[in-house]
Amino acid sequence: MKKNPYTLMKVAFLGPAVLAYVGIFLYPTLRTTVMSFFTVGSITDAMGKWTFAGLGNYADLFASTLFMRSVSNLGGIWLFGGLIVFAFAMLFAVILTSGVRFKSFWRAVIYLPNVISAVAMGTMWMQYVYSSRYGLLKGLFSSLGLERLAAIPWTSPDYIFGALLVAYCFGMVGYFMLIFMAGIEKIPADFYEAATIDGASRAAQFWKITVPLLKGVLRTSLVLWTISTVGFFVWSMIFSPLNPEPGTVTPMVYMYQMVFGANMVVTDRNVGAGAAVGVILSLMVLAIFLVSSRIAREDDLEY
Amino acid sequence: MKRTLVVAAAVAMAVFALSGCAKKVESTKLVYWSMWNQTEPQAQVIEAAVRDFESKNPGVSVEINWNGREIRKTLQPALDNKQVIDLWDEDIERVVKTWGAYALRLDDYLGKSFPTTGGKAYKDSVMGSLVDLARSYSSDKGLYAVPYQPFLFAFMYNKEHFAKAGVTATPRSWDELLDAMAKLKSAGFVPMTVDDAYMDTLPGYYLARAKGYPWVQSLVKDKTNAMWDDPAVMQMAKAFENLAKMGYLSKTVSSNKWPAGQQDVASGAVTMYLNGTWLVNEIMGTTGPDFKWGTFSFPTVPNGKDDGTAANYGAQAFQINKNCATPDLAFALVAHLTTGAWDAELAKKSYGVPVGGTTEWPAQLAEAKAIFENLKTCYPWAAGIQADTDKLPVIVENFTRLVGGTVTAEQFVAAMKR
Repeated sequence: MKKNPYTLMKVAFLGPAVLAYVGIFLYPTLRTTVMSFFTVGSITDAMGKWTFAGLGNYADLFASTLFMRSVSNLGGIWLFGGLIVFAFAMLFAVILTSGVRFKSFWRAVIYLPNVISAVAMGTMWMQYVYSSRYGLLKGLFSSLGLERLAAIPWTSPDYIFGALLVAYCFGMVGYFMLIFMAGIEKIPADFYEAATIDGASRAAQFWKITVPLLKGVLRTSLVLWTISTVGFFVWSMIFSPLNPEPGTVTPMVYMYQMVFGANMVVTDRNVGAGAAVGVILSLMVLAIFLVSSRIAREDDLEY
Repeated sequence: MKRTLVVAAAVAMAVFALSGCAKKVESTKLVYWSMWNQTEPQAQVIEAAVRDFESKNPGVSVEINWNGREIRKTLQPALDNKQVIDLWDEDIERVVKTWGAYALRLDDYLGKSFPTTGGKAYKDSVMGSLVDLARSYSSDKGLYAVPYQPFLFAFMYNKEHFAKAGVTATPRSWDELLDAMAKLKSAGFVPMTVDDAYMDTLPGYYLARAKGYPWVQSLVKDKTNAMWDDPAVMQMAKAFENLAKMGYLSKTVSSNKWPAGQQDVASGAVTMYLNGTWLVNEIMGTTGPDFKWGTFSFPTVPNGKDDGTAANYGAQAFQINKNCATPDLAFALVAHLTTGAWDAELAKKSYGVPVGGTTEWPAQLAEAKAIFENLKTCYPWAAGIQADTDKLPVIVENFTRLVGGTVTAEQFVAAMKR
C-alpha cells in the first residue's frame, strides 16, 4: 500500500484547528447538553454533585410564565425588529447606491451607532431619550405642542418592550445596510440600464432585479439576524439591570439568572435549567437556519 | 591581636544582625477579594486601613483584588479552582448561605482582644445583634462571617419638607402616613417616589406588616395562587391605589428607572423614599453633606401584625477561607478593619453605620440609630417578596401599573392570580 505523502502535512495543518474546535466548541456544547438533564447548584460543581433530573428542567421551563414570556419577547424582537431593521436597511442601501451625493458621509452616519458600545447607547436611550422628566422625546413632543405624546411613560411596563425594540433597531439598521449595499453594488449596472431603456420603473427594478439577485445576501442576513437576536442580552440587562422584567426579559437573561442567581437575594440556583435554556436556543437557531436555506435555496445565478 | 578581636566581633555582629534580618524578611501574604470598586469611598478607606495594617505588621503584605459586585459571580469558580484567596466580603446573608462551605468557623476569635479593641474582647466591641444575625444564617448556627458596615431599610425622608409642611412627628401608622402625605401635598411637595429597582419593597413591606414575612414568602411561592385571595392582599392593593389616586406619588413613578427616582429625592423634588441607609452616601454627590436626612420605620397597617421593631437590616461581612494558611493573621486584619479607628473612618467617609457599639454615627443617620436599637425581627430583602424569582417580575410589573394609576386594585389582584 502506498503511503499518502500528504498525511503528515494534513495532520500538521489541520491538527491545531481541530483540537481547538473540539476543546473550545465541541466539549462545552456536549457538556452543556448533558448538564441540561441534571440539577446543578453551581457552575463549577464537580460532576459527582450533579443530580439527574431527566427532562425535569425542560418541563420546569415550559411551565414557567417568565420563561415563556421571554420566548415570546424573543419572537417579537425577531419578527417585528427584523421587519423594521430589514426595511430601513434596504431602503437606505437602495438610496445610497443610487448615486446620491455625499454617499460615504451618509453611510458613516447611519453606521455610527455600531461603533459605540451597546452599553453606552442603551444607557443613553433609557436614561435620556425616554426619561419622563427631561427626556429627548418629552422635550421634542412638548415643543411641538403634542402634550399627550409627551406624557407617555416610555419605560413603564406597558411601553417598555416597544421602547427597547426601537432603541435596539436604531443601532442595527446601519450594520445590515452595509451588507445590503455590498450586495447591491455587486449587481452589474447594465441590468438596470437595460431595464431603464425597456421602461421599467424604479420600483419594478427593485422588485424584479435587486431583490431576486440579493436572495443569497438576504438569507445570510436572516441567519445573522437570528443569531444576534437569540443572543439578545445586553440591551435587556440595560433596560432592566437588577431583576428581569416581563417586558424586556429574554431567554438569555433568564438563563443568566438561573446560572448565577438573582441579584439582590440569595436564591437556589439551577445551572441545569440554564443549560436547558442554552440547548433550546441552539435548537431555535438551527431550525431557522434550516428553514431559511429551504426557502431561499442556493441559486446558480451567475452575474 | 586587638585588631583581630575587633574584626571577629564585627563579623560576629554582622552574622547576628543578618540572621536577625533573615528572620524578619520572612514575609506573609494575604489575598483579599473585595466586593468594592476601587473608586468607591468604602474601598478607599479599606485600602488605607490595609496599608496601615501592613505598616504595623512588618513582613505582612496584603494583595487586594477589587472585584466590585461581580464577586457574586467570580468568587465561587475561583475557590473551586483552588485559587489562593484568604478573605473576601459581600452581603452577610450571601456570604454565609452561598459561600459558607468555603469559610472558616470563627467563634473562637470572638473572645480574643486585638490592638484596636481597646483591651476588650472582639465580641464586646461590635454590635452583638449583627453577630447573632450572621450566626442565624448558617446551618449549624456557628459564626462564618464577620459583619461590618451595617444598613437598615426604612423610609428615608427630607426633614426640611416635613418641617415646612408642619409634620411634627414621623408617621407610625398608615393613617399617620396618609396625614403626613396630605400635609406635604398641600404644602406643594410630592410626598413619595420609588424606582423600578425598589418597587417590590412597597408591597413586600406592606404585606409583611399585615401578616409577617414568612407569610409573604409562602404567598409568592404558592403555585395555586389561592393565597392571593387573602383580604390582606386586597387591602394592600387598595392602599396603594389610594396613594396613586390622591396624587401622593410622583407622576413619573411608573417609568422611573433607577436612579431617576432617588435623584428626585436628592434634588428636593420629592420628600420620601423607602430605601436603605446607604442612600445618604449614594446621592451625596447631589445633596451635599448639609441635606437634612430623617428616617422612619415602615408604618403599621390596619389589622396588622408587625411594627417598627421589624425591618430588613444587615451588613457587609468578611469571610476567611477555611484553607487559609495564616487564619490568625487574617482575622487580625479583619479586626483591624472592623473595630476602632478604621470602623469609625469607614462610617464617616461613606456616611454609613459603624459596627462598633460605641462609635459615633454620622449626623444624617441619627434617626436611623434609634430605629436600629429597637429592632427585634430581621426581614429578608423586600420582606420576602423576592422569594420566588419567577413570580417577582410579574408582581413588580403589575404593581408598577397600580401605582402608576393604570390599573385598579381589583385588576392587580386578578393579574396576580393568573
